[in-house]
Amino acid sequence: MQEQAFRFGRARHLVGVAGLPASPAQDVVGVIVLNAGLVHRIGPFRLHVEMTRRLNAQGYPTLRFDLSTIGDSASSGESQTRKQQICADVADAMQLLSEQAACKRFVLIGLCSGSQSAHMVACSDAKVAGAVFLDGYAYRTLGYRLRYYVPRLLDARRWMRVFSRNRKANQGGSSEPTFTVAPLPQTVVRADFAGMLDRGIKLCLIYSGGISQYFNHARQFRECFGRVMAHPDVSTSFLKEADHTYILTGDRNRLLDGIERWLSHNFSVASGTSS
Amino acid sequence: MSTRAEAEMPFYFGPDRALFGLFHASGTLARKAVLLCPPLGQDQIRCHRLYRQLAQALVAEGMAVLRFDYYGTGDSAGDSVEVDWERCVADTAVAAGELRTRAGVDRVFAFGARLGGSMALASATQARFAGVVAWDPVLDGQPYVAQLDAMQSALCADGQRFMVPRKPADVAAQWLGFAISARLRQQIADLHIDRPPTTTLLIDSLSSDAPRHLNGFEVDAAMIKSLQPLTPWDDLRRLEVAVLSHPLIQAVTHHVREAA
Repeated sequence: MQEQAFRFGRARHLVGVAGLPASPAQDVVGVIVLNAGLVHRIGPFRLHVEMTRRLNAQGYPTLRFDLSTIGDSASSGESQTRKQQICADVADAMQLLSEQAACKRFVLIGLCSGSQSAHMVACSDAKVAGAVFLDGYAYRTLGYRLRYYVPRLLDARRWMRVFSRNRKANQGGSSEPTFTVAPLPQTVVRADFAGMLDRGIKLCLIYSGGISQYFNHARQFRECFGRVMAHPDVSTSFLKEADHTYILTGDRNRLLDGIERWLSHNFSVASGTSS
Repeated sequence: MSTRAEAEMPFYFGPDRALFGLFHASGTLARKAVLLCPPLGQDQIRCHRLYRQLAQALVAEGMAVLRFDYYGTGDSAGDSVEVDWERCVADTAVAAGELRTRAGVDRVFAFGARLGGSMALASATQARFAGVVAWDPVLDGQPYVAQLDAMQSALCADGQRFMVPRKPADVAAQWLGFAISARLRQQIADLHIDRPPTTTLLIDSLSSDAPRHLNGFEVDAAMIKSLQPLTPWDDLRRLEVAVLSHPLIQAVTHHVREAA
């Protein structure tokens, strides 16, 4: 396998790197990895490079690329909403992988805002067969609040700190930017997931301890999205120890193991289609 | 289709086509070219946007530019743990050759931030650079290694990042998101640059408490330029915040344009 760099897209404005197995299996799904925030296509701490190369080794054609105006990609020059741009950019990416590796269906993978982008496209594009949402949509539930506040209310040392002179100092740094995903309404996301599953899309939600300001337990998938999370085509996991961008190599490997397992279970390279 | 975008071509080059590059062609016949040497580790990701902006500013001045990734970094082949200083120096020379071929000019300048600046200086002779612009280069490796080790240790207890504190073993053999080999660690610790091998502009924006060793660096005082605001390279809270600086782009562009 050798990676190839491409300038592509309807305005040749997109830049991406495709990993193309020497002899891709018939009907194998192509895997497309979307930008996490403003980090260019290699991903936080090179996560997307490690991810795509591991999947290439399993026989999946992959593409990591920069959406319009992010990383090395330019603007398409069109007058479009961000949502239209993202859908059109991902369609361009699918077109490239279909030309290079004869892929007809695709799995999208995104972290944080990348998860939002994947969600957006999965709602409307019939070529999407699966999606991996890393730290995607989530909502503070009653369960979240109980898990968050009760231990704090019972922690005497915390109360001491609250009333100590150091209170202000302990709050230092709160003005720093934090990782957030601007949420769609919960009912909309729940309905979106149901719609995706009705269309046969397989979903994998992997959330990390790095979003503890709004997600703090594996149970919260069900609390947020209800019975749809029990659907056999939905896989969820909560990596409590990991941070949002998987800064530690061990955490990264565990994440990649999980994604690889989910892909091989649902889109085996041998059979090509979803199993 | 954007003409400027079309003039920025991504490709692989070098032995086994292992190195990723992005060539920014000059709209006119270039008389000079500039190789942008990236820093290593997280600094490379933080500087990606700035390097692109700098490349576009240099192209607007009629110069051709090549951005590239060393083996084991960015989109180039190799795992992060395979990054090797000597290989990076060799890659820089290969990239300089590639730029000469693509741009059709022999006169190549180099720019680099942090370890990218060190790399430009270390490879200047081999790569035949006509001049180097080094932004906050690491000139003495020992205190830099100590700084990275301290930041990496501090990660364990970073309550902003982790829900539960991590064990020292979880953060071992890594620097701020990247696995490192004992060999690279030693190579950087051994790094000591005290004599610029070619005409060098040193741009200084390190904070006053950062390890700096300009006193031992034998460069004409006129070739040191202080830059404001200071750059928070070593602030763990800003580890994933892009480094952007229009004054830096202006300083580099002006210097290379005026260089004889």
